[in-house]
Amino acid sequence: MFRPPLPPHLPSLLHHRHSWRHDANSYCRCRFQPRSQPALRRRRQLIQRLLLVASLFFTGVFFFFPNLRPNLGSGPLSFFTSSEDSQLETVRYYDLNNVQGTARGWEREERILLCAPLRDAAQHLDMFFGHLKNLTYPHNLIDLAFLVGDSKDNTLPKLNALLEDLQADANPKQHFGEISILEKDFGQKVDQNVESRHGFAAQAGRRKSMAQARNWLLSAALRPTHSWVYWRDVDVETAPFTILEDLMRHNKDIIVPNVWRPLPDWLGGEQPYDLNSWQESETALALADTLDEDAVIVEGYAEYATWRPHLAYLRDPYGDPDMEMEIDGVGGVSILAKAKVFRQGVHFPAFSFEKHAETEGFGKMAKRMKFSVVGLPHYTIWHLYEPSVDDIRHMEEMEKERKAKEAEEAAKKERMEKIKDQFDSKSSDWEREKAEVQNLVQKAKNEEKEKEKQEKAKAEQAKQEKPKEEVKEAGEQAKRADNFLEPEEIHEARGVDEKQKLEPKQ
Amino acid sequence: MPTPRSLRRQNPITFVLAGILCIGFFIFFFSSNDTPSVSAHSGSRQMASNVLSPPSLPFRKSKANEAQKPPPVMHYYMNNVTQSRTPAENEEKVLILTPLARFYQEYWDNLVKIQYPHDLISLAFIIPKTKEGNAAYAALQTQVTKLQKGPNKKRFASVTILRQDTESPLQSQNEAERHKIENQKSRRAAMAKARNSLLFTTLGPTTSWVFWLDADIVEFPPTIIQDLAAYDADIIAPNCYQRYYDDKKKAMDIRPYDFNNWIDSPTAKELAAKMGKDDILLEGYAEMPTYRSLMAMMYDPAADPGTKVKLDGVGGAALLVKADVHRDGAMFPAFSFYHLIETEGFAKMAHRLNRESYGLPNYLVYHYNE
Repeated sequence: MFRPPLPPHLPSLLHHRHSWRHDANSYCRCRFQPRSQPALRRRRQLIQRLLLVASLFFTGVFFFFPNLRPNLGSGPLSFFTSSEDSQLETVRYYDLNNVQGTARGWEREERILLCAPLRDAAQHLDMFFGHLKNLTYPHNLIDLAFLVGDSKDNTLPKLNALLEDLQADANPKQHFGEISILEKDFGQKVDQNVESRHGFAAQAGRRKSMAQARNWLLSAALRPTHSWVYWRDVDVETAPFTILEDLMRHNKDIIVPNVWRPLPDWLGGEQPYDLNSWQESETALALADTLDEDAVIVEGYAEYATWRPHLAYLRDPYGDPDMEMEIDGVGGVSILAKAKVFRQGVHFPAFSFEKHAETEGFGKMAKRMKFSVVGLPHYTIWHLYEPSVDDIRHMEEMEKERKAKEAEEAAKKERMEKIKDQFDSKSSDWEREKAEVQNLVQKAKNEEKEKEKQEKAKAEQAKQEKPKEEVKEAGEQAKRADNFLEPEEIHEARGVDEKQKLEPKQ
Repeated sequence: MPTPRSLRRQNPITFVLAGILCIGFFIFFFSSNDTPSVSAHSGSRQMASNVLSPPSLPFRKSKANEAQKPPPVMHYYMNNVTQSRTPAENEEKVLILTPLARFYQEYWDNLVKIQYPHDLISLAFIIPKTKEGNAAYAALQTQVTKLQKGPNKKRFASVTILRQDTESPLQSQNEAERHKIENQKSRRAAMAKARNSLLFTTLGPTTSWVFWLDADIVEFPPTIIQDLAAYDADIIAPNCYQRYYDDKKKAMDIRPYDFNNWIDSPTAKELAAKMGKDDILLEGYAEMPTYRSLMAMMYDPAADPGTKVKLDGVGGAALLVKADVHRDGAMFPAFSFYHLIETEGFAKMAHRLNRESYGLPNYLVYHYNE
């Protein structure tokens, strides 16, 4: 029963084994016999070489025949495919109705052009950039324009470095918009020191050349995208961070804050600075009629008594900062104006316009073109205090006085010391005398003892040894007066000197 | 045998060579043929890297996949912006300004023919927002897009097109003569404001010359910029004439058109002295005889074509101005400035800034004739 089924089993099993062995055999051949490989590898190398030759060929062809290069159009590789030239945009469209300037410019993304004319202003730049960084108006909406001219210090490199730092700031909200540095030398001879800057004779010429610089700056930097133009002097020391919004809120064509400056206490603590913001007066108009065509009326000088109400003098530290005042002349320390004012031609006259030049002429011209010109008497910014020549003289006098006082005090102190010294020397005299007396007593005792033992001839020898004994005995005996000996001796020497000098007085 | 082969295949030198080849291939393959010419001119023919830049410069488009960089700190060396007698040789940039109310194809064709390097010329237009202005805008846009598309020799450095509402009030024509003069004043004031808006937004820091060209000037010598600049005058105006068909002669002829180029007269000065502060003197009104010497009347075909006369008032039809004159502040007064307005007031203001105006009576440009 067992046998018959066995034979068929065995062959199948044998067969099975055989097939398995065969499989294993073929598997082994696949894995361990690399006979077919060299051909494939050779073919791959051939393909590689072909590709290499082809690419070299095409590179060569395209290098020598650039016209054959295919146009691949734009795509992720557009940086390579299209030339600089076809990337150029040459046509620009603007609608000036969109940039008229409104009260809430920061909401409408209105751009401001911030203009600052610079000359030998390196020492103020750090302060100015501190103000810039603190402005709360969105920085990307502020375009900066600087005109650097006739500077003899390092204004330009410093300005450049500060601006590069500003644009490289880690915080993208600190980055400003367009930044232009315009370099133009007008060849002005006028010195920029405080005295010559504010001297009456130099005013007309100085104001005209300042006006020229302002006009160059504005005409080169004003764009069709600007809604506002803000003029700011770099030597403003303190101003609110929100000044742009504060001034803009009034929605006036031209608006200026009040400008004061802090003073040293001996000058009264503070003082109106910008006297160029004023209301026109009858006296001034009458005066203007008497002057010749090229004359320029300047404020703040006795030569022209205009009796104009000045914005600066109307300040009340506790007044409403939003209070407005109509003015005719404006000062240039901090002017916010709608760009349309400048677009329509109002500028800083570099000639005598209605007997005024620069910012005052600007106010006059704007009035002429029916723009609103307003000052804020109780909204104050603070100009840097630079002592005038008079102030410097006064300060020198004060310094001298101070020094004289100091010298006097020093002398007095010295005298007091001398008196004290004399007193000290007296007490030391006393100590010394006391010590001497004690010494003498001791000596007498010693002598008495020695007399008994030694002859009178040996007394001189004993006298030579005396100093040593003296010190020893003084140290031992005068415990209170220990270490006093040396300084006291010096004091005594000086004291004796002075005593002789001072004796006549006493 | 197999080891050196695999070594050879994985040799870093092979990879490096392949890399170099790839890079070289890409550069040669994708870089275009005119790149060298662009870089060669980059010195004088500037371009801006940011949209925030003077409109007189072309700018490089920023790509969508490019990271937004903060605008760069730009230096402009305005000491180097010169105005010489040979502007083309010195690569001086010219800004052509046109207040445009109506677009004439002849104007555009004539403008494109100008023989001054086009890559030194920037154009700027200001167009009122009226029905007529919209039509002019559309026509201009078509022409500009056609010309400025892609690099070509005729392409201008940049084109700026401004739109603005006109302030000009409705003109009542049925009023008395006096009102007509009043209308003239407000029309000229609006025109002056448009000119100033155009000028002060597009002047930029690189422009050397400003060429004012009215939209209805349809013919002038193609070398006009070089010709006028050769006089080295602060402000210089050619004589504006008009071609017309003379019915009597049965032939084409020319007649004077622009009367705003004049030399002042004592009569005009007396008239001005008697006027109120805001009144203006106008040329060409019978009830206001000024007896000024008009350049339009000085044309003499037989005389020296290079004759130059000093002027006290200029017109705006065609006017070449040194950009520095405008930068110093000379603009077109929209109010009575010494009883003058717009272009005439401009000549006076320039004079106050010690800049003189000249005219060329025998150098003609032609006005459109409807």
